[in-house]
Amino acid sequence: KRRYQLSDPSGAAHYVWEYEYYDDDEPVSFEGLRAHRYSIVIGFWVGLAVFVIFMFFVLTLLTKTGSPHQENPDPYEKAHRHTSCAVDISNPQDLENLACSRPRLDESRSLIHCFLQEEQQAGAGLGSGKANTGNECNLRDCSGFLLQEAQKGQRSMQDASVLTHFDIPNFVNLENSFTLGDDDLLLCEPPITLDSKSHTYSNHHINS
Amino acid sequence: MINHTHANETDCKVVTIPSVIFFTIAVVSLSENVLVVVAVIRNRNLHSPMYCFICSLALFNTISSLSKTWESIMLVFIDMGHLNMRGESVRKVDDVTDSLLCMSFIGTIFSFLAIAVDRYVTIFHALRYHNIMTMRRALIMLATIWSFSGLSGIIMVVFFHTAVIMTCFITLFLVSLILILFLYVHMFLLARHHARKITALPGGATHQRSDLRAALTLTILFGVFIACWSPFFLHLLIIMVCPQNPYCECYRSLFQVHLVFLMSHGVIDPAIYAFRSAELRRTFRKMFFCCDSRSDVWK
Repeated sequence: KRRYQLSDPSGAAHYVWEYEYYDDDEPVSFEGLRAHRYSIVIGFWVGLAVFVIFMFFVLTLLTKTGSPHQENPDPYEKAHRHTSCAVDISNPQDLENLACSRPRLDESRSLIHCFLQEEQQAGAGLGSGKANTGNECNLRDCSGFLLQEAQKGQRSMQDASVLTHFDIPNFVNLENSFTLGDDDLLLCEPPITLDSKSHTYSNHHINS
Repeated sequence: MINHTHANETDCKVVTIPSVIFFTIAVVSLSENVLVVVAVIRNRNLHSPMYCFICSLALFNTISSLSKTWESIMLVFIDMGHLNMRGESVRKVDDVTDSLLCMSFIGTIFSFLAIAVDRYVTIFHALRYHNIMTMRRALIMLATIWSFSGLSGIIMVVFFHTAVIMTCFITLFLVSLILILFLYVHMFLLARHHARKITALPGGATHQRSDLRAALTLTILFGVFIACWSPFFLHLLIIMVCPQNPYCECYRSLFQVHLVFLMSHGVIDPAIYAFRSAELRRTFRKMFFCCDSRSDVWK
């Protein structure tokens, strides 16, 4: 809504550059346009749509390929089949809870690096079944470690004193059932699902 | 082959949106965001870093809707002839509203970034979350965001004609976009990975539906952000790069449409960020039922 005038040093030409859209002193010539006038607009929106759709397909592809080593269950997994997750899978059908679960990982960097490497492998390998022997940890170690830690976490979670010691961030989801939208990782607070009997503990923590 | 009309100089007429539409969008956005702010303030459970960032986002949206409403009202008065468009005081007020708008735009982008960082820390440093993201640090972050946005708003309006400032602004937008995309995709990958781990247990079933939903969520989050913000920024880029080009001129003629997109993001934002939280929805219900029960008492 304002204009800025640049005058040529020689004074010969006046260059009016303005972005005021109420009036147009300097008409732009539309002669000899080869493409459609709104080609930038069309190109922009088409490019945007393509990008968004591409992103969606990439994400769904990532979810489909995922971990290729599921046919090889770890002995840890066999032993701790019902308890080993930090998520209280009270509703086994509603595995969308898992999207919001934050497993009780040890904070060791090696584990995170392990998972990140594994992620890269899973993404890059796209279904190749061999474990990468070149890395220091392979899938079995990762999953075994995770489940071991998760089980520790699960056991300790049932102890009230340890709960307060753990200092859970206060977006613990107190609801038993997940309503629409609560289970999405990215749009809600990622909760730790607690069992119903530990509601009182978490309530106490939140209100303190 | 070359088909040009013999008519006027500019073939791309400026597309004008009636002020009513701007006004409606601004009012709806204002009410939604004020509701979010009030709910966060009233509920003590929501006094956490995460909700502080969401509240800050809602505040920036409120400011942008307020200034846009004010600008629409002023435009209406100008059209009716009560105000002189070239008058000094009108220009000054126009400057103030413009700088408030710029401030809210920059602040919104940084609030998105803060929310993404907060979620990232939640996922990747779950046990140390409370030590990393204390209320004090969150408030410091917010204070930095607000002061930087305020300063940038003023600088942008005063020095709008310099190419450097505009380049900085556009670069800032692109960098924030890429950073937010990276953070969310990384979080998404880890969440998928752990979900897969847990479903790999005997007795667990692979739930394709939840995977698809998370992918859809992320796409919507990002798609809406890009669709609402990029047209405006492309406009700024085009102003700098090709002011005389006829194609660019046609793009620039749609400025008000792009502004509508930007404003509508203030309407969609609460639906994506704030209303998805169960605790916040509970607070709303309490607020409304409280009013309803009070009105029953008075009957």
